Amino acid sequence: MPFEQVNGKVVSVPVAPGREVLARRGAMLAYTGQVQFAPVRASAGGMGGMAGRMMAGEQVQMMVAQGQGTVHYGYRGMYLTIIEVGQMGPLTVEADRLVAHDAGLQATLVFLGSQGGIRGAVRGAVSGQGMFTTQLHGYGTAVVLSHGGTIALPVQPGQTTTVDPQAFVAHVGQVNADIALNASWRDAVGRGSGEAIQLKMTGNGTVYVQASEQKI
Amino acid sequence: MQPLDPTSLPDNDNIPGNHYAYCVRLTGQLFMQTGRMIAYYPAPNGPGIRFEPLTTASVSGFVAAQFSAPLYARDWVVATGQGHLILGDRGYDINSYDLGDGNLTLRAANLLAYDATLELKQSIVPGFLTLLGTGKFLASSSGPVIFAEPPIRVDPQALVGWADCPSPSHHYDAGWMSGFLGGAMGMMFGVQSGEERQYDFTGAGTVLLQSSEKTLADPHLVQQLEGQVGALDVPGLSHLQSVIAQRLSSQQQH
Amino acid sequence: MIPVMQAFRLSGSRVLEVDLHGDAVRAAHGAMIAYTGDVAFKSAGMGGGDGLRAALKRRATGESVSLMHCSGHGTVYFAKDAMEVLLVELAGDTLKVESEQLLALSDKLSTDVAFAGLRGMSSGQGLFTTTVTGYGTAALLSSGGPPIALGVSPQFPLVVDPDAFIASQGRLNQTFVTDVSWRNLIGESSGEAFSLRFDGHGVVYIQPEER
Repeated sequence: MPFEQVNGKVVSVPVAPGREVLARRGAMLAYTGQVQFAPVRASAGGMGGMAGRMMAGEQVQMMVAQGQGTVHYGYRGMYLTIIEVGQMGPLTVEADRLVAHDAGLQATLVFLGSQGGIRGAVRGAVSGQGMFTTQLHGYGTAVVLSHGGTIALPVQPGQTTTVDPQAFVAHVGQVNADIALNASWRDAVGRGSGEAIQLKMTGNGTVYVQASEQKI
Repeated sequence: MQPLDPTSLPDNDNIPGNHYAYCVRLTGQLFMQTGRMIAYYPAPNGPGIRFEPLTTASVSGFVAAQFSAPLYARDWVVATGQGHLILGDRGYDINSYDLGDGNLTLRAANLLAYDATLELKQSIVPGFLTLLGTGKFLASSSGPVIFAEPPIRVDPQALVGWADCPSPSHHYDAGWMSGFLGGAMGMMFGVQSGEERQYDFTGAGTVLLQSSEKTLADPHLVQQLEGQVGALDVPGLSHLQSVIAQRLSSQQQH
Repeated sequence: MIPVMQAFRLSGSRVLEVDLHGDAVRAAHGAMIAYTGDVAFKSAGMGGGDGLRAALKRRATGESVSLMHCSGHGTVYFAKDAMEVLLVELAGDTLKVESEQLLALSDKLSTDVAFAGLRGMSSGQGLFTTTVTGYGTAALLSSGGPPIALGVSPQFPLVVDPDAFIASQGRLNQTFVTDVSWRNLIGESSGEAFSLRFDGHGVVYIQPEER
């Protein structure tokens, strides 16, 4: 596990030839050694055409760190959680909440909409029901952001774990996340929309939830 | 949870188990920043506790010698009396540090309080203060402070301060402003990147880092920068305007 | 006979876990972050709260924190703005809480809203205090770090920044102090121009960050 937790809000990672790191622009706090940072085009894989263009505004600029040295990452004083990818399955993280990962992991942008397919995604994006997530495949480590830290809830076969989409950070493993409307919710007073739209998680893995509904 | 009171509160230490609150045992005088105190117990049968602004005549002689940071004077008070003061700062980590015949420069907004044995001066780096001498001080940071040694390059927002080593190669003078306006963000230190420019530290000393945070609303920094704008020509002014517009829109996204 | 206390548990320091076995819990709106099993969420409006009078009071006062009613079978996870959670047990006594720092209440507790007076005229915040009575557990929120419990006794009166005040419990006398000295302390920051002084016997809970 190359990423090391320095404290709740800072991680450090050694960078070497063949061991590059991708991180969100603005996350670099400090570095020692000879490290260069260059922008990379965030991959929009999986979606094309109109949906892809609509998502352009959602993308986070990533920077690759290469050379020989050690880099410290942190982002706006938020908490960082290191997650191993691959052992249990891929990692799906709310697009805004991915801060860094091994360059060896493959990243694709996936839209979790209330209906599948491009059409559903477009409609979903327009209606605001759904979210953009980055899926990481392969074997390696990723670092995710949260407001206040995450708690890891197990997702077990035969049981549904329901999560407020605004509190959702990531899930890892063979997990399926569906957006559902909670029909029993009435009198939605105030900004408690989390109780109306929910993420239903099924399968086998872990879901990471933050102790807050705040966006990053 | 077991309530604390003056018999169980620490004399000059963090509240047990709490990185975000600190208890000072006041016996005499303490220089502290305004807006950071959350509660206090005046000592029983004591004179109570008074907070005087630095501009008061009764403390001027002593203050002038120890506090040479006129730009920040309004942010500081002298606490006089006996009792326990509990400090908290915007949910930042608070720690006490000992300076031993040293010199430390840190972000003004992060310095909470310091012993009257230390001298305080305004640093030439905008937004920073320098402490000289021997004594204890309290500083806050976003997350625990990380100590590092040069050579190191640091994101300006992650920098809390530095001790003993030379100031970073990023001075507040005409050279700094032209580099800023040159728009060669990150190029000035020979680093090819889109990342914002960094502070470059060399020499022997210690650099104090924290995890990056939203840009501090330091009104004095704004004044200092505003003061420099008069030195710019029209191309310089319009370039600065577009840099600010860009920064504003990226800040507002979050 | 001691009433059975609902199981309020902390997961870490910022998340409250409550097991429901066909019973209910009240929590701040929008505080649910996850749940397992089958749970229904309803606004604690007319009839759901503590009677018509209390509900009307809440509407009239425009209190920003309204409670929602969660019932069913399963485990619910509550949190708010990554604030630290403090559990306070009530055994027939009274707890006064800054309304926006209340996360959840076990079912048997009663609540009432009181107008706190002149406070908050400058900040527009903290005009209302929720008074909680009965038997059960109240989950409170602390902003900026773990909450601090400070004991008040005749020998040790306490002065508190109102923006750091979370709650108080016991036989306390609370006064507003508007002295020049405190105002010097506020300085350029947007703090309250008065402080809260507590005398008597009890406990005051404060948070490291000012609202």
